Amino acid sequence: MKITCYSFITAIVFSLSTAATAVEPIRVVLEFVPDIDNGRRTFDICARCHLPEAWGNNDGTYPQLAGQHVNVLMKQLLDIRSGRRVIPSMQPFVQQRTIGGYQNISDVVAYISTLPMNPAHGRGPWPPESAEYREGGELYEQYCASCHGAAGEGNNELSYPRLQGQHYSYMSRQARLVRNNMRRVKPSMAALLAALSAEDFDKVLNYISYLPLPQADLAPSAAWRNPDFQ
Amino acid sequence: MTEQEKLSRRRFLQAGGAVLAGNAVGVAAPASASEASDSLPQTAPALQKLLRRAAVPAARGARVVVVGGGWSGLTLAKYLRRFNPAFDVILIDKQSAFVSFPVSNAWLADQVDLDFLSHSFFDAANNHGYHFMQATVLGFDRDSRRVYTEAGYVDYDYLVLAPGIEYDYPRIGVEDSEARNLLFHRYPGGFVTSSELLTIKHKIQRFRGGTFVLTVPSGEYRCTAAPYERACMVAAVFKRQRVRAKILLLDMNTDIKIKQAGFKRAFEQLYGDYIEYLPSSLISNVDIEGRRIETEFDEYDFDDAIIYPPVRTSSLIEEAGLADPHSPQKAAKTDPFRYHLVDDERVYVTGDSRSQPFSKGGHTAHSEAQYVAEVIAGHALGHDVQWRSPQTMCFSAVDIEPLRAMSIITYYKFNQQSGLFAFDRTHLIEKWDTQGGQASLAWAEGMYRDMFYV
Repeated sequence: MKITCYSFITAIVFSLSTAATAVEPIRVVLEFVPDIDNGRRTFDICARCHLPEAWGNNDGTYPQLAGQHVNVLMKQLLDIRSGRRVIPSMQPFVQQRTIGGYQNISDVVAYISTLPMNPAHGRGPWPPESAEYREGGELYEQYCASCHGAAGEGNNELSYPRLQGQHYSYMSRQARLVRNNMRRVKPSMAALLAALSAEDFDKVLNYISYLPLPQADLAPSAAWRNPDFQ
Repeated sequence: MTEQEKLSRRRFLQAGGAVLAGNAVGVAAPASASEASDSLPQTAPALQKLLRRAAVPAARGARVVVVGGGWSGLTLAKYLRRFNPAFDVILIDKQSAFVSFPVSNAWLADQVDLDFLSHSFFDAANNHGYHFMQATVLGFDRDSRRVYTEAGYVDYDYLVLAPGIEYDYPRIGVEDSEARNLLFHRYPGGFVTSSELLTIKHKIQRFRGGTFVLTVPSGEYRCTAAPYERACMVAAVFKRQRVRAKILLLDMNTDIKIKQAGFKRAFEQLYGDYIEYLPSSLISNVDIEGRRIETEFDEYDFDDAIIYPPVRTSSLIEEAGLADPHSPQKAAKTDPFRYHLVDDERVYVTGDSRSQPFSKGGHTAHSEAQYVAEVIAGHALGHDVQWRSPQTMCFSAVDIEPLRAMSIITYYKFNQQSGLFAFDRTHLIEKWDTQGGQASLAWAEGMYRDMFYV
């Protein structure tokens, strides 16, 4: 597995002929070969909230990490580490002085990617036979599928999160944070949140929470416990 | 001027002089009536100053006045502007600078320096687009929506009261106001003003041996784990400095109130020679000069002490006639989900002076304040905000070299049947480690960053 670690360095180029200033972001990609064993040890601190299975809580207090794309996990970890994404209760645990350097972060991300997903994650209030579910599906097709995929599978290369299997309440809370100017996301995502009403957005998230998951990615049952932490 | 007029003028000014002297704790009252009348001409302009409009910029939008620049007030001031940029926010605090009480126990044991804990209200206001006013708030009038301070009055559209706590010395048998002041200065608890912290550090560093008393108050006191954590940090310093000392930890509760197993293990394994833990020690009196503390059944002589008494809500609430007669903390009667006074949606009470039984501490206040800011902005903008529980997160250092800590994260839920709040979704880590120790410092850095800088 290849784990990439992005850091954005801004170079400022002064033009002598005009007063204009050109600012170009330069992306530096660092690559690490992950050590899964070290990742398992490092995950101990994450497991305290996200639980040893990395399933989070169905009530959405903590998200499911299992099954998420490595590039998405990496980006969120680095954003929370730098304070770009503000989570006061997680920020302390992903600093150099606690979790360590990029190698450790790569290792833990790689370890999380080996864990099976929760077969009974938190779902929305409107079951598949409801009108709200159907409306949510139509909105999903129209607005979300082009980036997040028809099945909500996301895209690792482009760091688009996998939505399948995420707890409904967690996604709903994140939507509220973006609306309240408490979480910054891509402009296209922010524009969508601004365009759709809160009710419509909840319907979309409800639909997403019922998206089927590939059997191969799931744990045998909701009673499965991570043997690494028994 | 007639004799009658002179008399009433003199009476008024004497009354005013008493108020001023009462406000500045420690200022000696005039020794005699003649001395008092000599000072009258100087008192009059001072009183007039109180009745002037304070020198703050005119409001450029609905004005929110936040009383108290602690963790709650600082967070509210920032997020009120974030959720409604049209708000014009003034934060008032009587201190000139902010010194963090969270992490101060680690500072007592030299794990961080004073710069780590100290921050400027000016930075917070400049970086987040609100005004800061250094003044003591004297009271407020809800009909005219006016807050009175020693530097003049300020009018408000919304008022947030986050004045915190005061020590309730009568609950340990120290009733007389002079004795209370003396006890506060000699054996401060270290949970209200920064001078207390400095005095406590000097006490610990200079202790030459003997009995050192620490107390844990009863009731809902500020920072549940802190007195136990402090016992560990004080013991760690004595151990490091090879001081022959016995720490008597007099707990007014029947057992350790939080992270029980972890603290017990720390007391036994790390500080067995230093800490003697004495639960159910109901303190009934303190003989300040005689250095003796009395409990229901015992008496303890001490060489030095940190006496943390039970706490109550800031007297600002009681003086405004808002204290709920059923509240042992003298808290205001507020809507438990929306935080405003039951009969006034313009006045909110947050932080450690709130009426709800949430843990009194920095993280809780910070998380709660984000929600309350949203509620107030929602009120102004005409939309509803769904209740959500504050989050409590609390690290407790137990050892130094290296710094090692335990932690807890919890939320609260409301039980409809009982009408009470209870802990919910609690994650408790009673295993102490260096990651926890470093996380406690990183946590504080993240919080300071949010309240003051970014």
